[in-house]
Amino acid sequence: MSATHLTESAAVPVPRPNRLLELVRRRPEIITLVLLVAICVAVSIINPAFLQPSSLVDIGRASVVMGLFALGVFIILAAGGIDVSFTAIAAFTMYSMTLLVKNHWPDAPISLVLVAATAGGALLGVVNGLLVHYLKVPSLIVTIGTQYLFRGILLAFIGTVWIMSLPPTMGAFGRLPLVQFDSGGRTITLPFYFLVLPAAALITWWMLNRTLMGRAIFAVGGNANVAERLGYSLRTIHVFMFAYAGALAGLAGIIHTAANRQSNPFDLVGTEINVIAAVVLGGARITGGTGTVIGTLLGVLLVVVVNSVLVMVGIPSTWQRVVVGAFILLAAAFFVFCQKKN
Amino acid sequence: MPRPDAAAKADAFLELRGIHKRFGGVHALRGVGFTIEPGEAYHLLGENGCGKSTVIKIMSGAHAPDEGEIVLEGKVYYSLTAIQSLSAGIETVYQDLSLLPNLTVAENVALNEQLVASGGRLARLFDRARLRETAASALATVGLPTDRAFLGTVVSDLPLAQRQLVAIARAIATRAKMVIMDEPTTSLTRREVDNLIAVVERLRSEGVAVLFVTHKLDECYRIGGHAIVFRDGQCVEQGPLANYTKQRLAELMTGRRIDAERYRTGAPMAGELFAASGLSLLPNVRDVSFSVRKGEILGITGLADSGRNELAMAIAGVMPATGGSLRIDGKAEKIRHPSEAIKLGIGYVPEDRLAEGLFLDKSIFENEIALVVRDLANGFGVVDKAKGRALADKLSQDMRLNTRNLDLPVGALSGGNQQRVLIGRWLSILPKLLVLHGPTVGVDVGSKDTIYRVIQQLAEAGMGLVIVSDDLPELLQNCDRILVMNNGRVVAEYDARETDEDQLYKAMLVSKPVTQPAVNTETAR
Repeated sequence: MSATHLTESAAVPVPRPNRLLELVRRRPEIITLVLLVAICVAVSIINPAFLQPSSLVDIGRASVVMGLFALGVFIILAAGGIDVSFTAIAAFTMYSMTLLVKNHWPDAPISLVLVAATAGGALLGVVNGLLVHYLKVPSLIVTIGTQYLFRGILLAFIGTVWIMSLPPTMGAFGRLPLVQFDSGGRTITLPFYFLVLPAAALITWWMLNRTLMGRAIFAVGGNANVAERLGYSLRTIHVFMFAYAGALAGLAGIIHTAANRQSNPFDLVGTEINVIAAVVLGGARITGGTGTVIGTLLGVLLVVVVNSVLVMVGIPSTWQRVVVGAFILLAAAFFVFCQKKN
Repeated sequence: MPRPDAAAKADAFLELRGIHKRFGGVHALRGVGFTIEPGEAYHLLGENGCGKSTVIKIMSGAHAPDEGEIVLEGKVYYSLTAIQSLSAGIETVYQDLSLLPNLTVAENVALNEQLVASGGRLARLFDRARLRETAASALATVGLPTDRAFLGTVVSDLPLAQRQLVAIARAIATRAKMVIMDEPTTSLTRREVDNLIAVVERLRSEGVAVLFVTHKLDECYRIGGHAIVFRDGQCVEQGPLANYTKQRLAELMTGRRIDAERYRTGAPMAGELFAASGLSLLPNVRDVSFSVRKGEILGITGLADSGRNELAMAIAGVMPATGGSLRIDGKAEKIRHPSEAIKLGIGYVPEDRLAEGLFLDKSIFENEIALVVRDLANGFGVVDKAKGRALADKLSQDMRLNTRNLDLPVGALSGGNQQRVLIGRWLSILPKLLVLHGPTVGVDVGSKDTIYRVIQQLAEAGMGLVIVSDDLPELLQNCDRILVMNNGRVVAEYDARETDEDQLYKAMLVSKPVTQPAVNTETAR
């Protein structure tokens, strides 16, 4: 054996990780985007009606409430927790707000109603955060508990009557157009409240990437014990993130009511899994510490598109669940595959 | 609340006075006190469980003491919070590194500087330019790359040695006045250790105090400074390191005499037990040949990237060999999976006992019988508990475990005892050949002694042993022969009685094979 021999053996190339797999591993939301584009292309080939503005506007409108929920769930997931109480928070705030405005101040300005609903949701979120922090119980258990609690209080003490006619300002907000145009004799309206989703996404992105709180949320998602040791206040982070998710849920609730022009206290609860599925499809790991706002929005779009287009290509709507379930399994298997390969 | 204290030494940075700490019924610290002065190096020495970690946690603000005072720059505190400790300039490199695996290198190194600057308040903007700047200068100090790609790498993608350096970089990213390092060199190569020692020198020249916690006494002497020796939660000795010999320190730590002499007294028996010829595990191991006799202890060493780790795993089937042949008791065999190695009587005690070996939340009993649980089960798959108990009892006695309660979870044991449980488990299959990979990493002096004695007993009983380790004194004290690997090949072979650390280091570092009469021509061809 000689020196040259050794240099040779040292120069033997180490198998390079596949660049594409590496990219997908670092940015799993690429898979979500690819799936989304693939579905859209496939559907528009089978049924070109899909590309009409009316169906696109429908998808946009249907994404708002789910998108707001998903942003909240994403923040909690990023910090290594899970929240299933957000639908109950939304139902609670939207119904009690509607009742309050209807009975006491029917002409309340809509901006005030929105702010009050957001604040109410945040307050319920603070309850979640304090319970998670002081009980030291996993957030899944705490929020299952508070989901029952919030919903029970709503139905037992506040009311069970379906409100069919909203206060005028709320009804008007639901109808306020952002863009309106005629298409094939029908008037298509992209409502003003659609703007709330991109605005909330932008704020959430900014908070996560440009403030210390945002980095702290990911730090806690990486390893809560280490984060605490490094001087991050877990109490502040727990309270903040649940309050933030609660605020988004409160806002989503009032928009849900305004959009549907009615307030049903039995509404929303039961759709949590759908939202969590969308966030996970967007590349956030259920174990915490990862994910992006863009991925979350893509996950929401994917679920909304699947839910709304299957009918257009002649697949019965009962198959939606099968398709969403298959996507979740496929995407999860693929994420794991990419990780192993590297 | 801090209050001025005239009695505190003006020049001391930190002083602990009469610190007590109890956890439940355990009195972990019993009136500990010492002084840290700027620009000095200190070595906190002691066996596992002597209270070293607790005292670190008190200084870094993770625990509050039950009694005693902490005098920090002349102000007296009864306890510190993490942010108070960090703001005062006390930085800690924890043994588990305390890195956030999902964040980038830059964030891990420099985010804390911004957190401390804001006093722990989180409603602050996060300054990305400053983050990169701080991170780059700290990384440069420890000798890591400072380009954007490295700064943006997620820490879980880094190898262990680089993570250790990242953790050190975080400690020096802020204007620290005291850096505590809890076993900072466990996964560093010799060159990285040299670099670390240079970093420590620079910190000291800037007036930063450095407190080491380590089991590697050789490194302590290279750094110099003061020794603080703990035993059973008390500070038993303090003074300049140069005043103590290694042996004296070991005695102070354990409270008993430790023999630093060679443990190996027996000799190999006749008859080849195991032979590898032309063994390869590309690209890490190339054409390695060696044999082990009955009752022989063979040491294998080399730098972290020399292929020694992969060789150990190839023998045990953890990473199957890609070429070459194995002979066991004269018969050609193939090992493609750990279960095949077990059938052939080859046991493998992995290096990372926490990740690869032990079930930490399970009892000692369950851990000991994990490999033979199928043999203990009857036709219905029901495990014969009584038989298992008897076996676990015998194994823990053989391994001189210092508890008789086999229902304790393994996670509650000290590092030394955990290692003994792991070795005991492998003894349950009555191996012919036992591969020990870093058998005393993170194990204190007293436990080392016990493990070495057990190793010698096993060899006396005719078992062949292979010790893969970078702890050279360990190999010199225990082995018959030592193979040195370099760049995937065995480059030298020495008789352990006729070599020393310097000779071994040279063989590990030199890029061409040393021309040495002791080199086995067959293996170094």
